[in-house]
Amino acid sequence: MRIRFRMKKNLSGAEIVLEGLKGEGVEVVFGIPGGALLDLYNMLYDEEGIRHILMRHEQCAAHAADGYARASAKTGVCIATSGPGATNLVTGLATAQMDSSPVVALTGQVPTAAIGSDAFQETSTFTLTMPITKHNFLVKRTEDLPKVIHQAFYIASTGRKGVVLIDLPKDVLAERVDIDTDVHVKPPGYNPKTEPNIMQIKKAVDVLVASSEPVILAGGGVISANASEEVRVLAEMLQAAVVTTLMGKGAIPEDHPLCLGMGGMHGHYPANKALSECDVLLAVGTRFSDRLTGWKTEQFAPDAKIIHIDIDAAEINKNIQVHIPIVGDAKAALSAIIRNLERRLEKSGGTSPRNEWERRVREMHRICESCINTDGDDMLSARMIKEIGRILKDDTIITTEVGQCQMFAAHFYMTKKPRNFISSGGLGTMGFGFPAAIGAKVACPDRDVVDIAGDGSFLMTCQDLATCIENDIQVVVCIFDNRYLGMVRQWQELFFERKYAHTHLGVTPDFVKLAESFGCYAERVERPEDLREAFKNAFESGKTAVLDLIVGKEDKVLPMIPPGGGLTEMIGVERCNI
Amino acid sequence: MISLLVEDNPGVLARISGMFTRRAINITSLTVSPCEKPKLSRMTVVINGSERELEQVRKQLNNLIEVIQVRELSSEDAIVRDLCLLKVSAKKEQRAEILQLAESYGARVLDATLSTLTFELADEPRKIDRFVEIMRHFGIKQLLRSGICAIARD
Repeated sequence: MRIRFRMKKNLSGAEIVLEGLKGEGVEVVFGIPGGALLDLYNMLYDEEGIRHILMRHEQCAAHAADGYARASAKTGVCIATSGPGATNLVTGLATAQMDSSPVVALTGQVPTAAIGSDAFQETSTFTLTMPITKHNFLVKRTEDLPKVIHQAFYIASTGRKGVVLIDLPKDVLAERVDIDTDVHVKPPGYNPKTEPNIMQIKKAVDVLVASSEPVILAGGGVISANASEEVRVLAEMLQAAVVTTLMGKGAIPEDHPLCLGMGGMHGHYPANKALSECDVLLAVGTRFSDRLTGWKTEQFAPDAKIIHIDIDAAEINKNIQVHIPIVGDAKAALSAIIRNLERRLEKSGGTSPRNEWERRVREMHRICESCINTDGDDMLSARMIKEIGRILKDDTIITTEVGQCQMFAAHFYMTKKPRNFISSGGLGTMGFGFPAAIGAKVACPDRDVVDIAGDGSFLMTCQDLATCIENDIQVVVCIFDNRYLGMVRQWQELFFERKYAHTHLGVTPDFVKLAESFGCYAERVERPEDLREAFKNAFESGKTAVLDLIVGKEDKVLPMIPPGGGLTEMIGVERCNI
Repeated sequence: MISLLVEDNPGVLARISGMFTRRAINITSLTVSPCEKPKLSRMTVVINGSERELEQVRKQLNNLIEVIQVRELSSEDAIVRDLCLLKVSAKKEQRAEILQLAESYGARVLDATLSTLTFELADEPRKIDRFVEIMRHFGIKQLLRSGICAIARD
C-alpha cells in the first residue's frame, strides 16, 4: 500500500504532521500544548479541519482519545508535550493498549541535539512507552514524517488494534523541507493475518455440528471487528448460548433469549455455569484473561472442545490450551463458519435440533435477568443501577470507572448494542470512565453518554469537568458514593477479617458543590425512585451533570469467584434466584 | 534457539530484549550484527524455557513491527558457533601442557606473557564448555564468550 505525496515546497514538520492527520481523516484531537510543541500548536490553532479539545490532564487526553475510538470505531488521537506531558500520558496509553483500542499519540520532545543531555522537560518517551504500545517512533528527520504518520495510523487500526506513539523533537517540527515522496504504509515486517484458514473453519464446523451444548464466548474482539451481527446469527443457527466477557459486553443484545450475560469472577451465575458445563466452546476475540477464567483454569470449560478465533496468533494457547485455533479477523472467521454451516445444513436438510439445550438456555437467560435478589440492605447500588437501566435510552453509551461501580454496571445494566459499554477491562484504570465519556460524547454528539463512577475513581480525573464546560460537551456522571474504595473494601470484608486498611476515604469533598464550582449541574440522590427526576433535570440542564448517588457503605458485588477459586466455586450464590 | 531478521533501526535491540523482560523470559545468549541485506540485522537468541514459552516467544517476536522474520533453529539443522577469549595462568612448568591441550582443541594463541597465555577459540558451545573446564584446572584469569551465532544448514 502506497500513498503518493504531491510535490510540496517548503513545508514545516508541523505542517506535515497536520497534513498527515487530515489525510487520515482525523477530525478531532485531545491534547495539552507545551514548550516542545509550540510549532505544532501554532499551526493547529489555525487549522479549521481539526478540532482540538484542550484537556486538563494528559492522562485524560489519552482516555478521551481511547473513549472516542471505542465509541466510534475510528482511531483516536491525543497530544502531549515532552517530559511530564508524556509521562502523564502513560497510564492512558497502557489502558488503551491492554484493551486493543486504536489510538495514535503525538508527543513533543526536546530538540534532537539535546536528546540525552537531561534537558528541561526531557524524558525518554521512546523507551518509556515501548512496552505499553503496539509500536512507537522517534522521528529524527523531518523528511521521515509523512511515512511515520501514515504507518502509525495503519499499524494502530489494523490487525489487533492498539496504540502507536510518535515522539516529535522540537527541531523536527520546526524544520522546513520539500516533500515529494511515495510512502509505503505497510512496514515490511507487519503482516496482520485477517483471512482464516479454511481447513480450520471446516474442523470448527464439524465440531459445532456435532455438539449438543454449544456456548459462544464473545470477547472484545467481536466488538472491535464489528462482528456482533455474525455472533447473533450463528448463535441462532446453533441454538448456542452466548456468554460475553467484560470487553465483549454488548456483542449481543443482553435481552436476547440466548444471552447469558457476562462470565468470570464477577460474572453472572448462569454464564459461569454454561462455561463450565458446555461440550463445545467457540471463543471469539478473547484472550482468556484471569478475570474470566478464574484462578483454577481446570474448571474452565473442562469437558469442552475449545475453538478459539483470535486475530493475534500469540493469544492462541497463551492462557488456555485450545483444540481448534483459528487465527484471523472475527468477522471474517464467523462469516466463514456461517457460510460453511449453511451449506452443511442444506445438504443434511435442516438444523440439527438442540431443543433441550435451547430450552435450558432460555430458562437460564430468564434466571439471568432476575438472577440476583437485590432486596438486601447491601444491594442499594444494584437497585440504583437497575433503575438507571430503566431510565436511559437503549442507545445510551455507558462508560465506567473501575471497581464496584464497574462490576455493578457490568452485572445489572443491560447493554443492547456494541460500543455502548466502554470500560477499562485489562488495565483496570480508575479515573478512566469520565474522560472516556468525554471522548465518546465528542464521537457521538447526538447520543446520551453516562459515566458510572465511584467516588474514589472520579476524584482521580474530575478536573476535566472544566473541559466539558469550556467545550460544551454534555455528559452525566453518576457517582456511586460510598466514601470507600469499595471493591478493595469488599475484599477486606470478605477475605481480610473486615480490617479496612486505608480504604475509607473520609467525608470530603461535597461532590455537588465541587461540580457546581465548575459550572456543572449537580444533584444528590438517595433513593432509586428519585433517579428519574434527577436524570430529567440533568439532561434538561444542557450542561455536564454530576449526580451524587448515596449508596450503602457495605454494598457488595455478589456472587463472585473468591481469590484462588474457579468458575464453579462462586460465593454469594444463595442470593441468586436459582 | 531463534534466528531473527530485524530492521536495523535505533532502539530495535531495546524493543526485542524488552519483550523478553516483559514476558519474564530469561535470555541465555543474544548476538546481533549486520547481515547480507542492507538496512537489516540478524539476531540469534537462545532461551532456556519450556516448549510453551518458546512458542509464546516466537509469536510475540512476530508481533513486533520491526521483526521481519522469525525462525526457530535446532542444533541439528543449524551450524552454531560461539567465540571464546580466555586468559589462563601459565607457570613455566605447565606451559607446554597448556599449549598442547589448546592445540588439540584448535585454540589459537593470541598473546603470551611470562605468566599467562591468552587463547581464542571459535567452536560449538559444547566444545568451548569442555575447553573452559580443562583450562579451569590451570587457573583462568579472565574469560569471555561472544554468545551464539547460528546459521541454518541447507
